[in-house]
This record gives sequence, structure tokens and C-alpha cells, in this order.
Amino acid sequence: MSKKVITRDEWEKKLNDVKIRKEDMNKLVMNFLVTEGYVEAAEKFRIESGTEPDIDLTTITERMAVKKAVQCGNVVDAIEKVNDLNPEILDTNPLLFFHLQQQRLIELIRNGKVEEALEFAQDELAPRGEENQSFLEELERTVALLAFEDVSNCPVGELLDMSQRHKTASEVNAAILTSQSHEKDPKLTSLLKMLIWAQNQLDKKAAYPRINDLSSAKLEDPSV
Amino acid sequence: MLVTLSLPSSTSHEITLPLSTMPASVSPAASTIRPSTDTLIRLASSDHGVQLKALRDVKNQIIGNRTKKLVYIKLGAVPAVASVLADALDGSGHSSTDLLVQSAAALGSFACGVDAGVRAVLDSGALPCLIQLLSNHDEKVIGSAARSLKLLYQSKLAPKYDLSENGSVELLHSLLNSENENANGLAASIIAHSCKASAEQKAFCLNGILAKLIDLLGGSISQRDASLESLASIMKSNHEVASQFVKYERGQALNLLVNLTNERSTRTRLLACACLITLRNVSSTYLRGRGTETKLVRYLVELLEEPGQVGEEASFALSSFIEDDEHLQKLAFDANAIDVLCNHLQKDPLQPKRLEGILIALARMCSRLEFCRAKFLQMQAFNSVSEALHHDCADVRGAACICMRNVTRSVQNLSAGFFMNENIVIPLLELLHDPNPFIQLEALCAISNIVVNFRTSNSSFIRWGGLKQLVQLSVSMDPAIRSNSLCAIRNLTFEADNKCKAEVFKELTASSLASLVSDPDPSVQEQALAIVRNLTGGSLESIQYAFAEGGIILDAVQRQLECASTVESGIQGIFVLSNVASGRDAHKDAVMDRLLHNMGSGSNPPYLLRFMQSNDSRLRTASLWLVVNLASPSCMGASRRIAKLRKAGVVSQLKIMVKDPCLDVKVCRAGAWHFFPLKPSFEPIADYSPGNFFLSAASSDDHTGSVPDLRRQLKIELFMCIALRIFPVLLHSCPSGCPIPFGLKTRNSILLLSTSITDPFATSS
Repeated sequence: MSKKVITRDEWEKKLNDVKIRKEDMNKLVMNFLVTEGYVEAAEKFRIESGTEPDIDLTTITERMAVKKAVQCGNVVDAIEKVNDLNPEILDTNPLLFFHLQQQRLIELIRNGKVEEALEFAQDELAPRGEENQSFLEELERTVALLAFEDVSNCPVGELLDMSQRHKTASEVNAAILTSQSHEKDPKLTSLLKMLIWAQNQLDKKAAYPRINDLSSAKLEDPSV
Repeated sequence: MLVTLSLPSSTSHEITLPLSTMPASVSPAASTIRPSTDTLIRLASSDHGVQLKALRDVKNQIIGNRTKKLVYIKLGAVPAVASVLADALDGSGHSSTDLLVQSAAALGSFACGVDAGVRAVLDSGALPCLIQLLSNHDEKVIGSAARSLKLLYQSKLAPKYDLSENGSVELLHSLLNSENENANGLAASIIAHSCKASAEQKAFCLNGILAKLIDLLGGSISQRDASLESLASIMKSNHEVASQFVKYERGQALNLLVNLTNERSTRTRLLACACLITLRNVSSTYLRGRGTETKLVRYLVELLEEPGQVGEEASFALSSFIEDDEHLQKLAFDANAIDVLCNHLQKDPLQPKRLEGILIALARMCSRLEFCRAKFLQMQAFNSVSEALHHDCADVRGAACICMRNVTRSVQNLSAGFFMNENIVIPLLELLHDPNPFIQLEALCAISNIVVNFRTSNSSFIRWGGLKQLVQLSVSMDPAIRSNSLCAIRNLTFEADNKCKAEVFKELTASSLASLVSDPDPSVQEQALAIVRNLTGGSLESIQYAFAEGGIILDAVQRQLECASTVESGIQGIFVLSNVASGRDAHKDAVMDRLLHNMGSGSNPPYLLRFMQSNDSRLRTASLWLVVNLASPSCMGASRRIAKLRKAGVVSQLKIMVKDPCLDVKVCRAGAWHFFPLKPSFEPIADYSPGNFFLSAASSDDHTGSVPDLRRQLKIELFMCIALRIFPVLLHSCPSGCPIPFGLKTRNSILLLSTSITDPFATSS
């Protein structure tokens, strides 16, 4: 079955015919800022664009404090703050709690506190593995960090990256949002997923200028 | 980890600490503090600051940490925290508020998902204090107390909320109307927990509570979810409340509920599905005509894939939905439920709850539909089920047994001997000793299915010690176990070879069998009688079992028949006699004597005649087989027995039975009738080749009506008897060891005979 070919010109013309409202764009941006917790940016955006946020900005402050603490590697502080905000979150989210404990271990190893790390792994992480067998694999990976002299070059070295901190921070952020009855993902994410899905569907039927790089949103010509 | 300290005799020294929250970067690493009695000392301090710090330490250590909770509970921390709470209630001011918030939070965490914690909190008397906090002026205090109470009420161990108590209805209303989502959540938790009996459900429905809950369905995510949970609880099995809901605002509430099954949040979807299932269980009319059932099944199968609690609960919801309903099971099959479940089953390792859920769902799927079982076995996930039989968690073992039991109903695979292998049978045999009686019973039922074997022999089963175990269980105190173990033995002996029968008889022993036949429990009697029937059927040698140890078994059977408590016992008992009577002269006479012994006495009609008049066609058929075998001219003493039977009134009864509506009965009656010529001078022919026999029957003119019609009637009846022999499937209704007494063994003879019959049914021969 031969695919229909749509040229660049045709495609761009079709795109130009689609109208998007500015207000909708603003709402999406605001939703992104607020969900991710960028309070100051959200506040500024509100002033400049006149868009109202869908969450009370004051409630974001506490959430941001938690996120920041994780991103700085102060996991204990983050845990205490979450518990002050809502003690139920960590009690009802075993995976999240495990990831926070995991992050704590990573930070101890990063700071070279090996003995303390070993003790912590034994006292705090091992019970998590006992309580929930699905954590065992990740637990093993994390503990493996202790086995290597040069941690930054070992197979599980990526655990020490900042990206791991961001991952944990995002997880906490999402959990807090959910507990406050908000959507945990920005709408922008869903839109992009929809775009990718729609392109995949269209791929089966046509050759057309595709967006392959989401960050640049550049149209790439179809390979004819 | 426990550190024992000798308590100082004086009060603890004063430490002044800043009351504000800890500075951000420097943390005393609360979570690395080990639980110790030191904490308890600090909790009991008179300094609020010390107490507060101790509370926060405890709270931060236990949240999310089940292990630490248990340690602290053992240390006695819960009463200590509860007393801080109680003391702070009387106090006032900023420090009291902090103490209230923190102690409430700590208690809530102790109660979260830990039974021992719930018990400890309840025992410490904290519940009324927490409820008191709900009317505090500080929002934070209310929120903290509401949250903790909600967690408490989520446990089965919590007491039911008593609406009749003073002020409790008002409290519930204020919680529902509150803007504080924690308060709403608490109200929903209370309702979900306390609505078990229909009176309770009704009570909670009054005073506009139902309307308020429906209102919350349109609220925030947590309000919605809380409301869904309570609605399911309040409507469960309750027609009145359910119909109120369905009629609310002309179906708006129901529409809203259906729409919620499409929500983004998987938890909401699951709760909405569960709510709809509850409605459907009350009455299937509520969901009719919307394709809702198909959608529900599909949604639930999708939700099975979700991680965490949602996925776990989805499998239980699906199981309860499709239970006992073939139509729904088919829908689930079409939605690929079996594939999804099997794929999950093979993932390693699985949390016990999830594994249990998957096994139960598979069990329900395979309960009735053969194609489901076939699909399941095709998926090669069956090993996981046999492995689960060894699981540490009793619930998982139980679920695996139920699954095993249902899958082994597959006749196709039973006859191929698929299940008779050690990986399946040996763990099941071990489970017969499981501490949990439910598991014992399920394992027994599974074994009962597995030993029904059409091709392979049961010698492996006996070798693995299965027979011994079954016989041991046949004298259990529990009547259900007794009856089911006998059922298993019954299945074991079904069409068994002589070797197997000999082993069974040896293990069971004649005296035990005789006493089981006389067991007070009717289902035990039935099974025992069926075992005797199976043992004595099939061949001439088998008949000897009935006469073992001076005929105690036969005597027991006789006694049972005389007082036959159930139809089933009667049927099995008669077939035993029938089997014995299919033997030689001596055997037939032995049966005859016993019958006569009963026939001669008293005003009660003899049981044979009673059975021939029974409402149950199976019993009538069985009695006729006995008559056929007794009167059969295959042995010398036939005429003697025929005369006795005639004298006992059997012939008159046979005449009456001409009009019997049941086909089986008609056929057997026809067979029996041929042995009772009315003209006493007419001698039955000892040697009866097919042709002769037919002639002799055809010339009897004892009936009313013209002879040619009669002949045709006889021909039809005779043909039906022959047909019975040709088609084995019809033989299923024939007892084993009860041959049709025409001496027709080969197909050729039958064909020969049929050519001499001009039969309206026959096509060209």
C-alpha cells in the first residue's frame, strides 16, 4: 500500500490554517510553571500575561521547599517537610519512601561517609526490601555503589548523577500534587505525547514533514 | 536495637530548645536515631519543648517505616504518645497546638496499615480524644486529627461508628459539609467502615447523607474517591439504597458514576467500576442496555496492568464481578483477561496480595468455561500455580488451591492425564495437612478432580501416598472433609482396574466402609455407597467386595436402603445391589433374599416398590435395572426369582410404569417387562439367541389391544434397548456391571436383529 506524500509546502499551508488562541497557550504555560513548582516565574507570568493560575500560589511554596531540599541532597530535611505538610504521603507511598531512602544512601556515599552508609543500608534500606520484594532489584543496584572504590566510574555510577536527584524530586513533587487533589503532570506533557502518538499513526498512511526533535519542534522533510 | 536503661529516679532535667521548626540545612538526622526507652522518657517530660521534639522524632521515624512502627509499639510508645495528647487537650496556647498536631499525626501513622498499631491506639483510649479534636478551633489540629481518624477507620479492627450515640449524626454531617477535605475523607471512611448490615446502611442513608455523598462525586479528586468508596459500601446488597441512588435526580447520579469510569486517575476509575459492580450485584437491570458490562470488564482488565494497590484491587474487583456468571466470564475472555493475568503471573517476584488476586481471578475465569481453561493451559503459566501451592502466605496458597480445583475440572485434560504428575499432586497432598481448614478442603476438591482418570492408571497416585491420606481423612471429625475425601476415593475407583480396586479396598477395609455407609451424615453415606458401587461394578470378580467379612458391607447397604434418607443414597444403594445381582445365581439369590427380608415385614411398602414409585426418575430407573438383573434369564434360578418378584407386586408396578414420562425409565421398563410373561405356562427360554428371543416376546398376548399394534410397540421398545447398547454415550446412564440381558455382544448381532424388525425409525438397513 503506497503512502500518500505530503510536501513541505502543503504541510506548512495546512499548519497555518490552524488557529490557536493565545489564552490557551498562556494557560498551558501557567499550568506547567505551577505544576513544576516554579513559583517566582509563575508569579511574574501572572503579572505580565494576566493569566490566573489554577492552584493557589501560596500552597506551592511548601511543595517547592521539599523539592528544593531533595535537589540539594538534603533528603532528611525533605522527609521532615513532607511529613509536616501531609504525614499520609509517605505512609501510603511505599515506592516513594523507598526512593527517598535510596537517595539518602546515595548522598551518604557521595559525601564519602562509607561507614554511616553501610549502617544506614542495614538499618533502613534492608527492611524496605523485606517489606516489599519488588524493591530488591533496585536495592541491590544501590548497595552495589558501596562495593566500588571509584564510584563515578562503576556500572551503577549514574545513580550519583544530578539526574537521579531530579528524578526523586519529581516523584515527591508529583506525590504532593496528587495528595492536594491536583493533576501531577503538566498538560503540556500530555499534549506532546498526543503529538508523538498522532505522528506514529499518520506514519502508517503518509509521508510528511515530521517533528523528530521535540525541543526544537523543527519540521523535517519526509524521506522520499 | 533495644537499649535498656535504668530510669533515673529524679525527673528529667530541663532542656530548653527553640520551639520553631528545625533550620533547613542542619538536621539532627532524626531518622538515624534508634528507637529506645530514651524516647519514652522524653515523651513523659514536663517540658513541652522536649516533648515536641520527641514526638517529631518518633513521627519522622515511623512514617513509611513499618519495621520501626512495630519496634516502637513493642516499646510502648503508643500509650506514651496518647497521654501527651490527652494532657495537651486540657492545655492551651501555641505549644499545646503543636503537641496536639504532632501527637495526632504520630498516632495516625501508627494506625496506618499496621494491625498491631491500630490495636495499640484503640487500647490507649486515644479515639475519643481524637474525635474531640475535630471541634478544635485550629484548622491544622482538625486536619491532623481527621487524617489520623481516617486511617484508623480504614482498619477492620476499628469500632463501628454508632449513629445512635449523642451528637454522632451531627458530627458526621459537619464532617461531610466541611470544606476541609480531610474531614470529608474521614466522613467517607467512617461510612465505608460502619455500613455492613442493611440496617446500618439504611441508617446512614437518612438525613441527607446519601445526597451529600453524591454531591461530593463532583468535587475534587480526593473527595470523589472518598465518596465512591462510601457509596459502594452503603449500597452493597441493599435494594432500597441502591434504587434510591439510581433514581436520584432521574438518573443523573448514575450517569455521573458511569462517566467516572473514564477518568484519568486510575484509582478513580477502579473505585467507579467497583461501585457499578455493587449496583449490578443488587440488580442486573441497573446496568442494562448501555453496554456497561462489556466496558466494565474491559476497564478492569486494563486496570490489572496498573502497578501498586490499584492493580491489586482490580483483580479482586474483576473476580467478584465475573464470579458464577458465564456470560461475564466470556466477556472477560474476549477482553484478553487470561493473557494479561498469565503475563503478570510469570513476573517475578510478585507481592503476595497481587499474586493472590491474580490467582483468584484466573480461578473464576476457569470455573465453568472449558475454552478458558484451555487458553490458560496453553499460556504455559500453569507452573506458577503449582509453585504458589508452596507459598509462605496462606492466602496465596488458598488462592492457588481454588485455581487448581477449577482448572482440574477440564475433562479434556483429565482424560489425557495431564494433571497426574508429581509437581501438582504432591504439593496438593501436603496441603491436606495445612493448618488452615479452608485450604485443606480446597486441596481435597482439587485432588478429587485429578483422580478422575480415563486413560492413565492411578497407580502413581497410590504410590505417592495419596490413597493413604484420603483414607485417613475419611475418619476426620469435620463432616465436609469426610465427605469430600470419600468423594475423592469414589472418583479414584470410577472405572478403575482390578489392581486399583484391590488397593483401595485393602486400605479402606471392609469394616470401615460398612461403618461409613451407616454414617449419620447423609452426604458421607452417599459417597460411601457410591464407592461400594464403583468397587462392585465392572466385572464378576468385583462382586466379591460386597461379600467381604461375612457380607457386612451388603448388610450395611441393606440397612441404609431400608431407611433411605436421601434419593442419592437410594440410587447408589440400589446400584450396589444391581451390580451384585449381575453376577451368578448365588449372587442374585443373595440380593433376592435381602429384598424379601424387607418385603415380608410390616405395613410399609418394601423399598423396592417405593423406589419404583419415586418422584425422581433416576431412582425409578435404578430400581428397574435391579429388577432386570434379578429377573434375567441368564441363570438357572430365574423363574424362581421372577415368581417371587411377581408375588411382591413388582409386575403390577411395572404395568403402571408403562405411562412413565421419562425415556430412560421407559427403556428399562421395557427390558424388565420382557421377563415377566403373564401366562404362567409360558416358560422363558434359557438359551436365547437373538432371533428366538424376539419371537418369544412377540408372541406374548397378555396386553390389551390388538396384537399387531402390540408387536409394533414391542419392536419399538426392543429397538430402543438395542440402541442403548450401540451408543456408548447413552450408557452413561447405565450402571457399570449391569449388562443388557439379551446376550447381544457384537454389533453384527444387533444389525442382524434389527433387520428382522420392521421399525418406523430405521432407515434402509
